[in-house]
Amino acid sequence: MTLRKHLAGLLAVASLLAASAVIAPAMADTIASKIEAQGEMTFLKITGLRQAVRNGLLSIQAEVTNEYEGQQTMYYRFRWLDASGFSVWDDEPWKPVLFHGKDKQLIQVVAPTPQATDFRLVVQSPENKTSPASTW
Amino acid sequence: MNLSISPSLGKAALALSLVAILGGCATTGSPVVGGNVQYGDSKAVETVTNQFGSTDLQTIAESMTRSLLQSAVITRGNRPLVTVADVKNKTSEYIDTRSITDSIRAQMLKSGSVRFAVDNDAMQSQTDELIRQNQTGMYKKSTTKKIGKMEGADFRLEGNITSIVKQSSSIKDVYYKFSLVLVGIESGVIEWADEKEIRKTSSR
Repeated sequence: MTLRKHLAGLLAVASLLAASAVIAPAMADTIASKIEAQGEMTFLKITGLRQAVRNGLLSIQAEVTNEYEGQQTMYYRFRWLDASGFSVWDDEPWKPVLFHGKDKQLIQVVAPTPQATDFRLVVQSPENKTSPASTW
Repeated sequence: MNLSISPSLGKAALALSLVAILGGCATTGSPVVGGNVQYGDSKAVETVTNQFGSTDLQTIAESMTRSLLQSAVITRGNRPLVTVADVKNKTSEYIDTRSITDSIRAQMLKSGSVRFAVDNDAMQSQTDELIRQNQTGMYKKSTTKKIGKMEGADFRLEGNITSIVKQSSSIKDVYYKFSLVLVGIESGVIEWADEKEIRKTSSR
């Protein structure tokens, strides 16, 4: 009985937390709000991000800087969302990018469909502080 | 029948469920049959060998589609009718170029900005069906699709894939170039062209 009470309490706390997460005010359009880094990238930093709508399609340009002297690899893909936050496109293939020492690269993409009004840039670098679980 | 649980059994059950909750060590049988096969991520970057692979196919199709979506003839918004001609494989490997153009076509159609006409490969089944409906006398007149109503494509997609392979005693370098053009069929004018380059290096 006491266990059940405890569980009920836990559930209540969890649902409260979930509710507050939903009610939380909309995040400002900061770079961080658009990036989903799988583990914190140690050497590669997203130093710029801009978006514009051209011909009805969302265009994104991300500037990524390698702060390391040697070469670095980054894997990335975009998630395309509509105004309600639903995904409007299939999973994109992961794309590898090679950075030379102290290199800066621009990643330019166009949304695959006019329905996409928002996006997330998912990035992963093998030399992250915390590597995510392997996708294999 | 007496269904009440004996105190000791109840305690044991409580202890077991506690262990299951806290430790999370209960193993639930997965809906899997068989042995050493694992399903992987079909979108993962494949680096098994440096031959043409799934990541190359996917990234080529994606970058071509995105570029094509921005071409002037498609952004006009009148959903032009396109057909797929051949992409010639000029590499030393076997590559199913139809698979690349199929992906491009699927993504373009999904974006809703173009329509595609039946291409050469599927033309035989298209004409077979029309002829069967019209000439065998087996179909209701009202449902028979008329001959002479097929729409001619405005543009055709065609291209090449080439490769340069270099090898030393320790390094193998492969460079692929996929080029695609969109040709106006009436005018013969190339309305759009783009390339995607891929470099893969492996050391042994």
